Amino acid sequence: MDILWLGALALLLTGYFALAGFDIGLGMLLPALGGNQEGRDRVVAAMAPFVLANEVWLVAVAGVLFGAFPAVEGEVLYGLYPLVVSLLVSWILRDAGLWFRRRADGRAWRAGWDWTICVASYGLALSWGMALVAMAGGLAGPVIGLPGLAGGAVVAGLFALHGWTFVSWRLPGQVTGARRTGRALLLTACAAAAPAAALLAALAPWLLAHAAPDETLSVLSVMILPLTPVMVGAQVWVWRTFGPRRAADPTPSFF
Amino acid sequence: MDVLDLARTQFAVTGSLHFLFVVLTLGLAPLVAIMHTRHAVTGLPVHERMTRFWGQVYVINYALGILTGLVMEFQFGLNWSGLSHYAGDVFGAPLAVETLGAFFLESTFLGLWIFGWHRLPKWLHVACIWLVTLTAYLSAFWIMVANAFLQNPAGAVERGGHLVLTDVGALLANPMLLAALPHVIGAALWAGGFVLMGASAYRLFTGTDEREFFTRSLRMGVITALLGSLLTVGSGYFQFAPVAEFQPDKFQGDPLAGIGLGFMILIGQSLQMVILFVLAPTVYWLPRWRWAHPILMLMTPLPFLAAILGWLAREVGRQPWLIQGRLTVADAMSPGLTSGMVAASLVAFAGVLGLLAVADYALIVRTVRRGPAAVALGAGGPADSTERAHALSH
Repeated sequence: MDILWLGALALLLTGYFALAGFDIGLGMLLPALGGNQEGRDRVVAAMAPFVLANEVWLVAVAGVLFGAFPAVEGEVLYGLYPLVVSLLVSWILRDAGLWFRRRADGRAWRAGWDWTICVASYGLALSWGMALVAMAGGLAGPVIGLPGLAGGAVVAGLFALHGWTFVSWRLPGQVTGARRTGRALLLTACAAAAPAAALLAALAPWLLAHAAPDETLSVLSVMILPLTPVMVGAQVWVWRTFGPRRAADPTPSFF
Repeated sequence: MDVLDLARTQFAVTGSLHFLFVVLTLGLAPLVAIMHTRHAVTGLPVHERMTRFWGQVYVINYALGILTGLVMEFQFGLNWSGLSHYAGDVFGAPLAVETLGAFFLESTFLGLWIFGWHRLPKWLHVACIWLVTLTAYLSAFWIMVANAFLQNPAGAVERGGHLVLTDVGALLANPMLLAALPHVIGAALWAGGFVLMGASAYRLFTGTDEREFFTRSLRMGVITALLGSLLTVGSGYFQFAPVAEFQPDKFQGDPLAGIGLGFMILIGQSLQMVILFVLAPTVYWLPRWRWAHPILMLMTPLPFLAAILGWLAREVGRQPWLIQGRLTVADAMSPGLTSGMVAASLVAFAGVLGLLAVADYALIVRTVRRGPAAVALGAGGPADSTERAHALSH
C-alpha cells in the first residue's frame, strides 16, 4: 500500500515538472521569444489552455504528502521554509500575471504583468532547483547557497528548453522559427522531470519509512482509485482539445 | 507580538482572504452553470451573454481563490508542522482527497471551460461548467470534513503519542460537519446572489441599455439570495446543539469569538428579514425601482462581512486548541519557528495577496462597469463582430 502511494507521489511530482516545466520555461523566455506585445500575446495564448491543468499537479503533490506522508510534509516544508515562501510568492505572481494581463487596456498594464510573469517564472525555476539540491543534501546545511544556485540554473535551463520545444510544437515555425514533433516534446518533458525523478529515487527508502499507517492509506485508496480514470481522462481531454492540429486559437485568448 | 501570535495572524489573514473569494466562487458557479445550460437548451443570445458576463466575473474572482488557497495548503507545513506530526494520519486524509479527488478535476475542467469556447461541442462545454461546480462543492465538503475534525476529533484515537484514524464513518458524519456544510453553502449562494443583485442594480441605475439582461440577472440574484439566506440561517441555528455538546465554552472564552458571532447574527438576521419581506415579494418590480438600486448596491458586501465574522467565531472560539481537547496551537507550531521567519513570510503573503485582492476586485468592478458587450471570456465567436462594433460605439 505504501509503495502504491509512493508511486502516486512520484508520478505527480515528475508529472508536475514535465508539464508545468514548459509553462514556467515559456514564462522565462517571454520577453525573448515574444519581442513586442503581439508576440508576447501569442506565446501566452499558446500555453494558456494548459496552465491550470499543469499547475494542479503540484497542488496534488502537497495533498498526497499531507495525506500519505504527513511526517515528511511537515519536515520538508518547514526545512525548506525560505524556499517554499519564495516558491509560493513566485507562483502567485506568475499566475496573477496570466489572469490579469488582459483584464485591462493599456500597453503599460500588460507589459508590466508580462515582466512579472517572466521574473516570477525565474523565481519558480530557481526556487525548485535550490529546493531539490537542499532535499538531496538531507536538509542538513543552509538551504540557500552556491550548490543550490547551480541546481537552480540547471532546472531553469531545462525548463527553458522544454518551453522552447513546446511552443515550436504547438505553433510550428511561428514563434521560434523551428518545428518540433510530439516526440521531441516528450524528450524535453523527460529532461525537465529528470532532476525530480533522481531525487525521488534517492529518497524512496526514507519516504517509505515515513508513510502513513495502512488504515489511512486504505481509506485514501478507496476514495481516490475510482476517480483515477476521470483524472487521467480530463488531462488527456485537455491535450486532445488544445493540441496543435486543431482549429486556430480564438482571438483574443482569455489570458 | 510573539511568534505564536504572528503565525496565528498569518493564518487568519490568508484564511479570511481565501474565504472572501471562495464564498463567491461557490455562489456563482451553479448560477453560471444554470445560465450556460439555459443557453444550450433555448439557444437564446441573452443566455449566452449572461453566461459569458457573469462567467467572467466568476473567473476573475476564481484567480484569487486559487492563489490564497495555495498559501493555505502550504502554510500547514510551514508554520504548523506539529499538526501533521500529531494528527496528519487523520487530518491529512480529507485534505489529500480534496486536492486529488476534487480540486485536481475542478482546475482541469475550469481550464477546458475557459478556453473551450468555440472549440468544444456545445453540450460537452456545458458539462465542463457543471463538473467545475460539482467538484467545487466536493472541495467544500472535504475541507469542511477536515475543519470539523479540528472542532471535534471524531473517528480517531491517540496511540503512541499521535492520532490514528479508526472510524472513517465517524469522521464523515461528524456532528460538527452536518450543519456547518449547508451553512457554508447557503452563505455562498447568498453572496453569489447578492453580487448578481448589486451589480445589476448598478447597471440599471446608471445606464438604460441592457435592461432585459440586468432585469433577469437582478431577479435571479434575489431568488438565489432568498434560498441561500433560508439555508444559512436555518442550518446556523442547528449548529448550536453540537457546539453546546462538543465546545460548550466556545463563545465565552475569547471575546473576539463572541463578538464575531453576535455581529454575524445581527447582519444575517436583519438581511434575511429584508430579503424575505421586502426584496423577494417585490422581485418583479424591483428592477424598475431606480430609487431602490443604490440601497441594493450598498447591501452587496454584507454577506461577505458576515461570512468572515462567522469563520472568526468558529475558529477563534476554539482557542487555545487547534484540535479541540487534543492539541493546542502552541504545541502545533513548527518547532524552532522564529518571529523573523513568520514576520517575513507574513509580510510577503499578506502584502502580495492583499494587493492582488484589491486589484482583483477592481477588475471585477471594471468588468461590471464596461458591461456585457466588452466581455473577453468566450470572445471571438461568430456573433462577436456585431458585439465588438457595439462596444466600440460606446
